[in-house]
Amino acid sequence: MKATARWLAEHWIAVVSPIALLALWEWASATGLLRAAFFPRPSTIAAHLRDLTLDGTLWSHTAITLARIGASFALAAGLGVAIGLAMGLWRGLRDGLDPVFAVVYPIPSVLFLPLVSFVVPAGETALVVTSAVTSFFLIALTTTQGVRQIDRLVVEAALHYGARGRRLFTAVLLPGALPSIFTGLRLGLGFSLIVVVAVEIVSASRGLGALLWLSWQVLKVEDMYATFVVIALLGALLSYGLAAVRTRLLPWVPDVGER
Amino acid sequence: MPTHDPKVLVDDVSVTFESRGRSVVALDRISLQARAGEFLCIVGPSGSGKSTLLRVLAGLHRQSAGAVRITAERPGTPLTAMVFQEHALLPWRTVRDNVAFGLENRGIGRAERDARAREMLALVGLARFAQHYPHQLSGGMKQRVGIARALANDPEVLLMDEPLAALDAQTRTIMQEELLRIWATLGKTVVYVTHSLEEALLLGDRVVLLTARPGRVSEVYPVDLGRPRGLAVRGSPAYGALLETIWARLREEVVRAMADDRGSGPETIGA
Repeated sequence: MKATARWLAEHWIAVVSPIALLALWEWASATGLLRAAFFPRPSTIAAHLRDLTLDGTLWSHTAITLARIGASFALAAGLGVAIGLAMGLWRGLRDGLDPVFAVVYPIPSVLFLPLVSFVVPAGETALVVTSAVTSFFLIALTTTQGVRQIDRLVVEAALHYGARGRRLFTAVLLPGALPSIFTGLRLGLGFSLIVVVAVEIVSASRGLGALLWLSWQVLKVEDMYATFVVIALLGALLSYGLAAVRTRLLPWVPDVGER
Repeated sequence: MPTHDPKVLVDDVSVTFESRGRSVVALDRISLQARAGEFLCIVGPSGSGKSTLLRVLAGLHRQSAGAVRITAERPGTPLTAMVFQEHALLPWRTVRDNVAFGLENRGIGRAERDARAREMLALVGLARFAQHYPHQLSGGMKQRVGIARALANDPEVLLMDEPLAALDAQTRTIMQEELLRIWATLGKTVVYVTHSLEEALLLGDRVVLLTARPGRVSEVYPVDLGRPRGLAVRGSPAYGALLETIWARLREEVVRAMADDRGSGPETIGA
């Protein structure tokens, strides 16, 4: 209780400012200062959010989007960690792939959709693969970095105490790289969400991105905002979820374990 | 000195480093020995190759010439175990699992290695911290874990590379007493590298003085200050006299090392 009060005393502005902003918005669209057709009152959006939740529309679209994020993130994480570890361990591979990564990584992933559609079946598979591209590069790069920054003295001590081959990998190199890997996973998960929603806008008939775009096209602006809210919440929940997993799995990382 | 049956025999060992096309002689035909149960201290100015010598003994670096022999009395136990200057614990393992790491790598079962880890942690006074992670410990405690990790392997020879150098003065003094107690308990052969002459005289049976680069054995001093030895020894006249004698010689080497650093750099051969 006392801790909550202290937190509030220090962070009151973080609580008050969004509420104030919403109140201002509510007042502006109620008085006609903002055009309600484009900026409906937050209370109206909340009502639509409730209706869409109750009639199941949001649940079904959310489930589809979540499944796509899950598939594309799993693809990106699996390949990214594996290739990142390999790049961290073998210099030749790193030297060979670094320039390729440097060129391909900054390209916005949605642009890969047509290219990917030539290679894998268009539709669901293409959507998942496209969404995995940027996420994959991020995870591979941070994983490589993670292996490279392991304290050499620690590796030497492990060798001295008889860690070889598989043992060296599972007991030293992999755990040593894990904090970086998790950083990559968190960034990658965010990118998977962004690109899944973007590709849904471009090329899907179901999913939160499709729902948002459809609502906009038929000028159901309140539904568009409601979908907006759900996407934002989804992003926040995924990010916090991964952070919680990290805390559980890495109790030895000072800034995590100490809390 | 009973030298006919040495535990550690370093015979004419040289180490040359290649760096950017130049070769730097770190150790130049070093010969020394330690008998079983001896606490042998190695001192010398920075760059005299003290740590390199220890790394050769540990098998972490191959000598360019000469031979190292460690007499194994108990088959199945490792020849050496090293306590590193910066502790070098695995941050992702608990204190207990760090101590048991070497045993785990040798395929020793969970129950046995846990028992052994517990025993060693009790010896270094950290029994209550078995489940902590290294980042939760102070510098002195981490170094105790490093010592427990080395001892858990029951090596023929314990190697210590300036294990107390990174600690504050008070912690270092406490740790020196601890080391004396542990050594008296286990009777291990110890090769101990330090830059502190006082520490060498407090701990060692003999002090080997290395020259500035390239490292050669300058002199070997027996430390006849009796056992068991405690901090009180520092007040004795014999201690003072020995300190004076060795320091006079060490000082020359330190000055020479400093002159080398300022002048033409380390001694080099060829191109």
